[in-house]
Amino acid sequence: MLLETHRAEIETILSRYDSRRSAVLPLLYLAQDIYGHLTEAAIREVAAILDLPPTDVFEVVGFYTLFYNRPVGTWVLQVCDDVPCCYLGAEELIAALKQSLGIAEEQTTGDGMFTLQRVKCLAACDRAPVLQANLDYVYDVTPERVNALLANLRARAAEARQRGVSGRFAEDFEWGPDGALVPIDRAAPYRPRHFPAAPSPAPPEPEPVPEADAGHDRPADRKASPL
Amino acid sequence: MGLSEHIVMRELDVPEINDFEVYCRHGGWEAYRMALKEKNPADIVAMVKESGLRGRGGAGFPTGVKWGFLPKGVYPRYLLCNCDESEPGTFNNHQIIDRNPHQLIEGVALSAYAIECHTAYIYMRGEFAAAAITLERAIAAAYRAGFLGRNILGTGFDLDIYVHRGAGAYICGEETALMESLEGKIGQPRLKPPFPAVAGLYGKPTIINNVETLANVPRIVEKGVAWYRSHGTEKSPGTKCFSLSGHVNRPGNYELPFGVPLRELIESPEYGGGMRGGRPTKIIIPGGASAPWLTHEHLDVPLDYESVAAAGSMLGSGAVIVLDDTVKAPHVAYKMDEFFKHESCGKCTPCREGTHWLVRVLHRIAEEGHAVPEDIPTLHSIYNQMAGNCFCLLGESAVMPIKSALALFPEEFEAIVAASRRHPHGNGHGDGRHEPVIPLTTKR
Ligand SMILES: Cc1cc2nc3c(=O)[nH]c(=O)nc-3n(C[C@H](O)[C@H](O)[C@H](O)COP(=O)(O)O)c2cc1C
Ligand code: SF4
Ligand code: FES
Repeated sequence: MLLETHRAEIETILSRYDSRRSAVLPLLYLAQDIYGHLTEAAIREVAAILDLPPTDVFEVVGFYTLFYNRPVGTWVLQVCDDVPCCYLGAEELIAALKQSLGIAEEQTTGDGMFTLQRVKCLAACDRAPVLQANLDYVYDVTPERVNALLANLRARAAEARQRGVSGRFAEDFEWGPDGALVPIDRAAPYRPRHFPAAPSPAPPEPEPVPEADAGHDRPADRKASPL
Repeated sequence: MGLSEHIVMRELDVPEINDFEVYCRHGGWEAYRMALKEKNPADIVAMVKESGLRGRGGAGFPTGVKWGFLPKGVYPRYLLCNCDESEPGTFNNHQIIDRNPHQLIEGVALSAYAIECHTAYIYMRGEFAAAAITLERAIAAAYRAGFLGRNILGTGFDLDIYVHRGAGAYICGEETALMESLEGKIGQPRLKPPFPAVAGLYGKPTIINNVETLANVPRIVEKGVAWYRSHGTEKSPGTKCFSLSGHVNRPGNYELPFGVPLRELIESPEYGGGMRGGRPTKIIIPGGASAPWLTHEHLDVPLDYESVAAAGSMLGSGAVIVLDDTVKAPHVAYKMDEFFKHESCGKCTPCREGTHWLVRVLHRIAEEGHAVPEDIPTLHSIYNQMAGNCFCLLGESAVMPIKSALALFPEEFEAIVAASRRHPHGNGHGDGRHEPVIPLTTKR
């Protein structure tokens, strides 16, 4: 089916490599976007196009984190919880998202709109807290911006379904001066980032070293942070 | 010690440099044109060797020397540009692409000419989806201008450059895992030797360099070795785009000559702008997650490969993460080793099992606040069994956070043990759950 509907694109991809097998990642991205996620049939189809044993392609799908072999939401939200983001508001962001969406990590909302995941460093540590929505970067997502973000993404659901989750048509986003989420114009000249002149608000005092077992009567779902 | 003129981050001097015409008006593609018409490939290799350019991907290996390892007369050869950039704290490669993409492509093209190769791939981590589109557009502009394709500028030189997106795996930044991935396989490292220069992509001689490394090449060829060497130090010439992050007031990329003191990067109002709220620095990780930790005692260490190594760490990818006293050392070690556990490719036992056990013990200590006295020797034992025994540097790197935390802040681990012992339930397992303590083996 892919070969019938996307022959030109597939031929272009294949022409870039001296070995057909090298096209497996781009073809899986394509199949994922066309079918919504990588169904068993989709994986077998990619294997057939590349003349590969299906197990080789199943193995690739299992290894790389950006391939989904189960249904995912229209928007896959991947929040960085690595160092340094986790000390710059990422945990608070994840908590706010979980609360607004009513789901835990690795779950999808009942309406099929959002899947929430924790991911490792997204290479945008200077714009923490940061997430990707279908591989579009969204920078500086403080918890207060969660509602505006989710409203914006819901309004663009049709566009997201058309583009797919694999980032083949990605664009990145930041917050405009009026608090709206705006796409970054990649052709615009470089503008230095504006930092507030006054030093940022004082951070919380460090927690004292625990006197008694800090974990004792904490509810099971509350993680101690940062110790 | 600021730069009067940037070498890589030229958007700071010419904000419109991401426009192809503007790039050309500022000397862009001149070095390439001149090289193709007037120089032999070997001349370019010699120039890069003399410039002292060192790889920015982590190891700091001299680029010209690496290019010299290609076996004579063996073709085809491949050039790979490594833009996997997934190590916590590193974020300059995709900003170079966003802001000054044409210089990277000219660098790839010039380097391909130097090593006599006709196909180059830029391997980007899968998450750099929008940056991949920017790069494809810039490559298309270079084709239209006749700098890529067949019989370039009538010289008979052919070159194609392609963008290849990975799909989420830090290990694919390791050079041989990257080649496996580009061949359409899972990203597990290969045994070395043979080194990539001898047998790399598809078993052919292959050179692999980082984005920032290759972005330096056009300026070296255009402005000459002496000019390049007037920046930085004798052994670490040129500049580095430091990715500064953490609890500083002004996180971001700052291009500075090698050898500036750490303090200047963190505190200068032009760069880091000091620590947020004026708090003291506690942990400084100078070269990405793989680098041993430094502390405020090291603020005067000059940022070049030799000086940072002499201080007991490594400059690595130049990703400087600075954390203040609100963080707890066991928790930082836990988060960093969680990263390595998540990214372990599973090929070898010391890394796959070692990272698993480190995280299992550290999670209990750092997230739940329970520790038993045996935990501390257990942690030492786990990393000692990993060190020197992993198949690739990922596993070796996973040793650094926990080893650093235990060496620099042992009292923080001991305090958790003591607090757990004073607990009425007595054994540090207040909920009655018994975390298995893995058997100790003798230290190597
Ligand atoms: C686990 C691991 C991950 C790596 N990730 C990257 C990376 O993302 N980008 C990079 O340029 N080099 C990375 N490297 C280093 C590469 O293996 C290789 O040394 C480098 O790309 C060579 O380029 P250079 O000589 O220009 O530094 C990594 C190495 C290891 C062991
Ligand atoms: S050290 Fe880790 S990442 Fe490297 S080969 Fe072994 S398991 Fe894989
Ligand atoms: S740690 Fe979050 S982007 Fe790097």
